[in-house]
Amino acid sequence: MEGEEFAVGCFLSIKTTLGDEFEGQIISFDRLSNILVLQEGLESGPRRNIWLLKANYIKEFSLLRQDEDPLDVKKCFLDLTSLQAREDSAIRQAEADSERFGVGVTSEAQTLFDALSKTLPVRWDKTVIVVMNEVRVSSPYLPESVSGGTPAANERVRKVLEFERKRMQTRGTSQ
Amino acid sequence: MNMQQVVFPKSSANGFGRQRGDREVGARLENKMQLGKSNQGRIQTTGALAAGKTVGNESFSRDRLVYLTTCLIGHPVEVHVKSGSIYTGIFHATDAENDFGIILKMARLIKDGTLCGYKSTTEFVSKAPSKILIIPDKELVQIIAKDVAVTRDGFASDPQNEKYQEILIDSAISQSRHVEVERELEPWVPDEDDLQCPELENIFDGPWNRNWDQFETNQKLFGVKSTFNEELYTTKLERGPQTRELEKEAMRIAREIEGEDTQDLHLAEERGVDLHDDFDIDEEMRYSSVYRVRGVDDSGYEEDEDILLDSHNIETFGDSYDSLSRSADGVRMPSSSSLVDDAPSSQAAISEDLNCSRPNDQARQLASELPSKSFSVSASESRIRDKLLGEHGGSSDGNEFPEKQSVSEKPSSSGKLSEGPASSKATDEMHSASSHGPPDSSTSSNSDCVGTVSASGGFGLSPSSSMGSLSSEKSTLNPHAKEFKLNPNAKSFTPSQTPVRPLSPVSDGSFYYQTQMSPLPHMHMPVSFGIGPSFPGHQPVIFNPQVAPIQSPQAYFHPNGPQYGQQMVLGQRQVVYCQPEMQYKGRDY
Repeated sequence: MEGEEFAVGCFLSIKTTLGDEFEGQIISFDRLSNILVLQEGLESGPRRNIWLLKANYIKEFSLLRQDEDPLDVKKCFLDLTSLQAREDSAIRQAEADSERFGVGVTSEAQTLFDALSKTLPVRWDKTVIVVMNEVRVSSPYLPESVSGGTPAANERVRKVLEFERKRMQTRGTSQ
Repeated sequence: MNMQQVVFPKSSANGFGRQRGDREVGARLENKMQLGKSNQGRIQTTGALAAGKTVGNESFSRDRLVYLTTCLIGHPVEVHVKSGSIYTGIFHATDAENDFGIILKMARLIKDGTLCGYKSTTEFVSKAPSKILIIPDKELVQIIAKDVAVTRDGFASDPQNEKYQEILIDSAISQSRHVEVERELEPWVPDEDDLQCPELENIFDGPWNRNWDQFETNQKLFGVKSTFNEELYTTKLERGPQTRELEKEAMRIAREIEGEDTQDLHLAEERGVDLHDDFDIDEEMRYSSVYRVRGVDDSGYEEDEDILLDSHNIETFGDSYDSLSRSADGVRMPSSSSLVDDAPSSQAAISEDLNCSRPNDQARQLASELPSKSFSVSASESRIRDKLLGEHGGSSDGNEFPEKQSVSEKPSSSGKLSEGPASSKATDEMHSASSHGPPDSSTSSNSDCVGTVSASGGFGLSPSSSMGSLSSEKSTLNPHAKEFKLNPNAKSFTPSQTPVRPLSPVSDGSFYYQTQMSPLPHMHMPVSFGIGPSFPGHQPVIFNPQVAPIQSPQAYFHPNGPQYGQQMVLGQRQVVYCQPEMQYKGRDY
């Protein structure tokens, strides 16, 4: 650390070496680990955006003003059990969600998968999107890449795929 | 000041729980932090840190850091690392003792710093989420967490969220990797001290017996004034001088009912009848709600209605009914169809299912075979009969009726048809019968007419049977019976008077075909049978097999005249409910 003291409550504008820029209020600065704990924005509400930043990645900063301690110590409680429960449920949720994300697929493929999953039961099989357990869409996920299933199902998946691609295109161009 | 540090549990892949168990309860932190609501109420302490950094700002700030990182547990965070990559995952732990390496669970790489931004996003290839990702302190650049509950208010609202999230659906549980082994399912056995739920007996004690009044308690606790009046929901027991006798009587009846023999498994169980280790009866049989008929091929729902109709029949027919009512189970359509045999050729054309060829004297036998259940059949049959009765009116073109009609649906019992001719003679009986309503009347009339009175009496009842068979989904119909042919030229039936009571709204299913009508000697029925004008919106309908379900037919029978209509009923396998009290006031023919 460059020897600067970060006082609690200071409102800083910070630029990191990674290119991030933000403003926040210091909650704490731990010299030992060199971590600056910031609260983004001004809200003193119960829920805040917290930023833990390694101070050595601060490219530059400027002190905007000095405010009071954003953390009201009297209100600080920790319920370990509920934290643990929260973690468990988050993990469960994430596990369920992980089914939805393809591994080794491009984000475009993922977008298509998500779009298909809105109306059809889909799952990943390596890099192949499997629809209704019978129709398979492999890379490059064009309408031509749709194979399998009954003709009706195949047709349907094709149509949805085409539609989605069109939407993606218009969205891309409009932005 | 003496401060104990609240230290985050050791960063270890074994997880949080283990660590907690190991720690002892430490001294409470001073004003910096408080642990509240924790079931265990423990403070994790770390000796090293406490020893070294108890002084001043650093511990202060370290405390805060630790506190905040603790707040992050279970929270999704985004971690930036030195290489520029960004991971997102669930914050699990941080190594508070040394530097601040962190552990994420279910972490995914969102942005790969090594790509240096050259590749476009569309080509970015996703990676599998890692169950546990350890990011050493050296790599760590920043951790970003949004909407973190930092203070108590935040926590207060959090548990509610958690509760919602915790509603696990089956698929989540079954798919969760936490459950690695399939559980061995065991049947539940009550605890030793359960004693067959003794408290249940207390529940139904009168309120004066319980030592707890729920309304009173509610009022005390919440100030809620109750307007509950028990008598609104139940009949008030008059406790007068008769009470004792009434009670005795009630007890007697109760005992009688409960002591009854029953075939029903559930009833038997309730009454405490032991099922004699019948190995055929497994749990499914005992407790499933699927009703599987054993050995009887009619669908069970008719049973209740049968009883009603049967009782009416008994009144009308007395003995002859008895013989019929004892009729066999399961012999339905064929037997009923055979009853039709008596009828003259006019019925011959009727559907193949009904065996018209049997002689009349067999009718009785068959009639007796007809199951006494199947209200629906009887209803439909009585309808048929009534139709026949009503429509015949002695006209000679009744013969056309059965022949030309073609039955498209399952044939119904043609039992009534045979009665048709017979009924012409039974004016008196008709009278008497009519007072009982269609099924009865037709029956009684039949009893006269067709050669075998009892048989027709049986016929009267056989409607019940045939009805049953009709309404039964099982094909008890004779598949070889002749097809019913519609006679489009038959006279259209127009009732001259409205029946007293509208039929119950079973309109859709009230028709069934007489698939085969044995020729009736005096069958002069027009093919069509109309629906009485009494029904608002109904119109007399010429019977036409192509017509969409005709509304519930009214059984017409002329109490005076020798009218035997051949009742054509669409065999749509639906229940026909005959209103026993329906009275046909006469029709001019």
